Amino acid sequence: MTETFSTLVKELQAIVGEKNATDDRAICTSYSRDQHWHFVPAKNPACVVRPGTKEEVRSVLMLANTHKIPVIPYSTGINVRGLTIPVHDGSILLDLSRMNRIVEINPEMKTATVEPGVTFGMLLEQTRKHKLRPAFPDAPLTVSVLVNYYLRGIYQTSATDGHDHTISYEMILPNGETLKTGSRALSEMPYFRYGVGPDFAGMFGAHPGTCGVVTELTAKLYRLYDNRKEYFIGFDDVGTPTEFIYNLMHDELAASIRLVDNQSWLEGIFGTFDYAYDKLPKFVVCVLVEGVDGIFDAKDKLVRKYMHESGGQILELPAEFAQTFEDESLGGAEKSCMVFGLPGKGNYHCIGLYGPLTQAAKYYEVHEKTALEVGIPKDHIHFYIDPIYSFHGQLCYFELDVFYDGSDSGFGEKLRNYNEKQFHRLLELGIYGWFRPYAGIIEPTAERIGYLAEVWKKFLRVLDPNEIMNRGKLF
Amino acid sequence: MEQEREEEILSAIHHCVKCKLCSIASFHPNAKWLPLCPSGQYYGYQAFYAPGKMEIFRAILEGEITEPSKGLLNSVYACTVCGACYEKCKQITNVELGAPELFEEMRHELASRGWSLDVHKSIAELIKETKNAYGEKYEYKVETTDQNADVIYYIGCTARYRVPEIADAMLEIFDKLGLKYQVMGEEWCCGSVLFRTGQVEAAKELVAHNVEEIRNSGAKTVVFTCPGCMKTFEKDYPDMGVELVHSTQFLTRLGNINLKKEDLKAAYHDPCHLGRDLGIYEEPRVVLSEVADIKTMKREKEQAWCCGSGGGVKSAFDDFALWSATERLKEAKEAGADALVSACPFCKRNLKEAAENEELEVYDVVELVNRCLEG
Ligand SMILES: Cc1cc2nc3c(=O)[nH]c(=O)nc-3n(C[C@H](O)[C@H](O)[C@H](O)COP(=O)(O)OP(=O)(O)OC[C@H]3O[C@@H](n4cnc5c(N)ncnc54)[C@H](O)[C@@H]3O)c2cc1C
Ligand code: SF4
Ligand code: SF4
Repeated sequence: MTETFSTLVKELQAIVGEKNATDDRAICTSYSRDQHWHFVPAKNPACVVRPGTKEEVRSVLMLANTHKIPVIPYSTGINVRGLTIPVHDGSILLDLSRMNRIVEINPEMKTATVEPGVTFGMLLEQTRKHKLRPAFPDAPLTVSVLVNYYLRGIYQTSATDGHDHTISYEMILPNGETLKTGSRALSEMPYFRYGVGPDFAGMFGAHPGTCGVVTELTAKLYRLYDNRKEYFIGFDDVGTPTEFIYNLMHDELAASIRLVDNQSWLEGIFGTFDYAYDKLPKFVVCVLVEGVDGIFDAKDKLVRKYMHESGGQILELPAEFAQTFEDESLGGAEKSCMVFGLPGKGNYHCIGLYGPLTQAAKYYEVHEKTALEVGIPKDHIHFYIDPIYSFHGQLCYFELDVFYDGSDSGFGEKLRNYNEKQFHRLLELGIYGWFRPYAGIIEPTAERIGYLAEVWKKFLRVLDPNEIMNRGKLF
Repeated sequence: MEQEREEEILSAIHHCVKCKLCSIASFHPNAKWLPLCPSGQYYGYQAFYAPGKMEIFRAILEGEITEPSKGLLNSVYACTVCGACYEKCKQITNVELGAPELFEEMRHELASRGWSLDVHKSIAELIKETKNAYGEKYEYKVETTDQNADVIYYIGCTARYRVPEIADAMLEIFDKLGLKYQVMGEEWCCGSVLFRTGQVEAAKELVAHNVEEIRNSGAKTVVFTCPGCMKTFEKDYPDMGVELVHSTQFLTRLGNINLKKEDLKAAYHDPCHLGRDLGIYEEPRVVLSEVADIKTMKREKEQAWCCGSGGGVKSAFDDFALWSATERLKEAKEAGADALVSACPFCKRNLKEAAENEELEVYDVVELVNRCLEG
């Protein structure tokens, strides 16, 4: 560590308190790698700073901006895409997990306002008292609500919730200014997304990084219903169930709809009990119906009708499984997202993308083809589809998964080959967009988006002219 | 470290996806956010949670960390090696990371490089000199009642020198029930603190001595009130052809011993070594239910919150140990208990110290049994 840097650590300690800033090598190492390390190699930040208030965040940013020191905001660090792993030497890792206040739950407005360190688990614990819940990603419920919404996650656990859950936020910029979005900019009421001027709250959706630090975000909450019912229907291919899925989506019948291959995800849950899940049909559509009394009954009746017409095999799965599916779809993922434990494997690689349901069979086909080409064994190849309301453009989230043993460096090589081919093939095939562009995926994509890429880069520079903020390996 | 073992460890570390689900107790079905990792919760930096610690171990093995910085020693040793992270991880991921074993191995690796805390080194010195972990020069007075008894009671340093009421209670139980027992002529520290802090070499002499004493005693059963000692015998000692049983197992096996139940609401605190390490959850509850009404705490059994004293934490990071104990006391009070009952002298000592200004009583289960047993 250079003399200048240790002076800087002292200045940072003066802002956040001695025990909340350190350049200790071991402490920094603990932030050096995530499960995406086959693609983003380990790198230490030069120091870690743990601010406790907005004002501390502001002071740290202004100091870093003055010295042109890279800053990596980190809320819970669970993004699994290497997004908080430093790119540059001498970076400050800004660990925001101490800022974990739920600022407000407003049952009348159906909103919650949170700080970066608030996780989905923490938030649901409070909102359920009002029979409300946040929209859940299928990510561990230990991840930050604020970051997930800010970067626009994917919310396949409940299709009904749709896509965008951010209403407004405030962001501290490197120059110390505060940017407030939506109605927040005009009043004390942060409850409307489209305030004055452009829709800033959407600017960082589908973005892997940032130009400032979001310190507070107001999000939508959704109703929790008492009536719920689950169904599981088996199919032998991806194409056949698409009509069934279409019907459910078109008539807005089910809260949760998910087509999975029987090894992925299902096994993540099933792995904890004794059941011959490998004997299930190759694909299973999981459906969860919910609603208030009369509406629930009507929806349920129609779902059953479509289910019987679907040509699928109606499966009787253990009650314990159905309970986990219900808990985790509408209450945050814990077991179901932890598919890593599939026997003999342990790690997870995915390409997440948005596209129309009409392309489902093609996406699966190209996934399997490319994986086999690069030498990935068949039983490591997994897939799922989550349709998203209100289904304009037949919008679905597709996940092309590979479960593998992360300690096998040869497999890492296969995955890099897979990505190289697959990104291009999918772009050729036609997709709506990536779940979140990240290192490796953005390069072939940026080539195709014309002048948008230029404007995007310029926009980032306006907010962050010294380029100190973590762009998430973008540009 | 041998290459093969190093590869095994690195492979386990690579399987950690850094999801941090090991930092909370199972969320469903009650939708309660309950922290599980005392060290991460108290210190906050990623280094103090299981995934961060694993990353540090990786960097040590791969030669990236070559100096014992303060943060390194703190993050490695301010972990109670309670194993809560591992229990949670294996429930959800099925990935056998074996975190506590990994963390002990990590300490061993550090100690072999001389990277130990001074306070732990001085405990090793004390043990070398006095054969007990507290450096006490006097003897806890106790006599064998029958040289040929099948049962030998291994008392342990903490019950002999810091919480003698536990040893007293156990001995009185033997006497009241008219059971013959042996104690070791010269009981040496079991070596637990040395194993747990990575100073494995220093423990060899203790193991050899205790093994010989037990073999010579001819006893068939060793009874422990200290789960830390029992775990050490089970895991780090050679097989002596004797049965190792915890006091609560011993008591349940006796069947009905006419205990007079008290009007006491008691929460049971699972000691990490007894529960997560030895898998003994039921017997202490069976025994306790005969002497008190059990009030269930939110975090229990595999997902019990650690009292905060294990893994050499009490001696090196007392503030942290007491904070962790205070969190447990709060939980017991929330459960509506008047007393917090454990089955481990080390837990009792730390919990009792934290409860100094609290209304809550702290006991070891054998103390209550003794109180409820007619003489
Ligand atoms: C098993 C697993 C499954 C997952 N499945 C899904 C899924 O189905 N759907 C889904 O949406 N996601 C999924 N995820 C990933 C999840 O989206 C991320 O964990 C989460 O969205 C963001 O991660 P984080 O909160 O840990 O943020 P971090 O890792 O802390 O940060 C992520 C990015 O945001 C930036 N950032 C962090 N804090 C701030 C801030 N306060 N202001 C500005 N920028 C900030 C960082 O610099 C980084 O670029 C999954 C993750 C795992 C481990
Ligand atoms: S130890 Fe297990 S539960 Fe904890 S972060 Fe690693 S994989 Fe997740
Ligand atoms: S062993 Fe206990 S204190 Fe140590 S990291 Fe795991 S849960 Fe935390």
